[in-house]
Amino acid sequence: MRIEKCYFCSGPVYPGHGMMFVRNDCKVFRFCKSKCHKLFKKKRNPRKTRWTKAFRKSAGKELTVDNALEFEKRRNIPVKYQRALWNKTVEAMRKVEDIKRKRQARFIINRLKKGKELEKEEAIQEVKKNIHLIKAPHAGKAKELEEKMVQKLQEDVEMDDN
Amino acid sequence: MGKSKQSGNHNSDKKKNISKLWKTKRRTKDLDQIHTDMRPDQAAKLLKQDVDFDVTGCAQHYCLHCARYFVDLKSMKEHFKTKLHKKRLKKLRDEPYTQAEAERAAGMGSYIPHKKVEVQTQPVEEDMD
Repeated sequence: MRIEKCYFCSGPVYPGHGMMFVRNDCKVFRFCKSKCHKLFKKKRNPRKTRWTKAFRKSAGKELTVDNALEFEKRRNIPVKYQRALWNKTVEAMRKVEDIKRKRQARFIINRLKKGKELEKEEAIQEVKKNIHLIKAPHAGKAKELEEKMVQKLQEDVEMDDN
Repeated sequence: MGKSKQSGNHNSDKKKNISKLWKTKRRTKDLDQIHTDMRPDQAAKLLKQDVDFDVTGCAQHYCLHCARYFVDLKSMKEHFKTKLHKKRLKKLRDEPYTQAEAERAAGMGSYIPHKKVEVQTQPVEEDMD
C-alpha cells in the first residue's frame, strides 16, 4: 500500500480515494479528486493551471531546489520491520518536515520582499509626481508674491503715466 | 489562466457537443503520445501507412502533430496554414508533462524545469504522378 501522488495537482491520493485512469497504451494516471480528473479529460496543462503544484514550482513561486526535498522518494525496495529503525525514521521525518517548512516559508518571504521594495519605489515616485496635491506650489511664498504684485502694479501705473 | 484562449472556430461541428469530447470513450491523443509519435522511427511509420479504406483519405495524408487524417494533400497543406495547427505546434514545443514531474512538484526530489523541444511541421513530399 502506498500513498500515490495525483497526476494533475500533485496532491496525495490515499487508498480508496480518487480515481485511476488507464489509457489505452497502458499508462496509469491517478487523480486525487474529480476536479483533477475532469481537467485531465479536458486536456488542461497542469503547468498552466495556477493552483497546481506543477504551476507553482515551474513559475518559481515555491522552493524548487533544496536538500530537504531529497528525502521523500519512491523506494521500491522493501525494508524489514525493525522497531528501532522505525522509531528513528519517524523521528527523522519530523525533523526533515520541520526544516523543510522553515525553508519554504523563508523562500516565500524572500520572494515577496522584492515586491515590497518595488511598491515602496512606486509610492515614492507617485508622491514626487503629485507633490502639488500635498503642498501647493506657492505655499509659504505669499510675501514674495505680494511684493511681485506690488512691483507689477507700480510698473503699470508708471506705464499709464507715460 | 489555464483555459484555452482559442477564438474563432465558432461554427465548428466539434464544438456542438462539447461534453462528448471530454468523455474518455473517444479520447484523442494526448500531447505525450504525440511526442512518442514524433520519434523518427514512429514518425516514418505513421507518415507512410498502408492504404486503409476505413480511414479518411485511405490513411495517406496524416498530420503527425494534430493526429489527424486528411482527404488529400491539398487539404492537408491548407491545414498546415491554420491557427489550429500552429497552436498545436506551440503546445508541443514544451516537454511533455509526466507523473514523474508531478511527483517532483509534490516534493519528492528537486523540481527540474521543463525544457523546450524543437518542433517543425512535417515536410510535404511533392511527388506529382
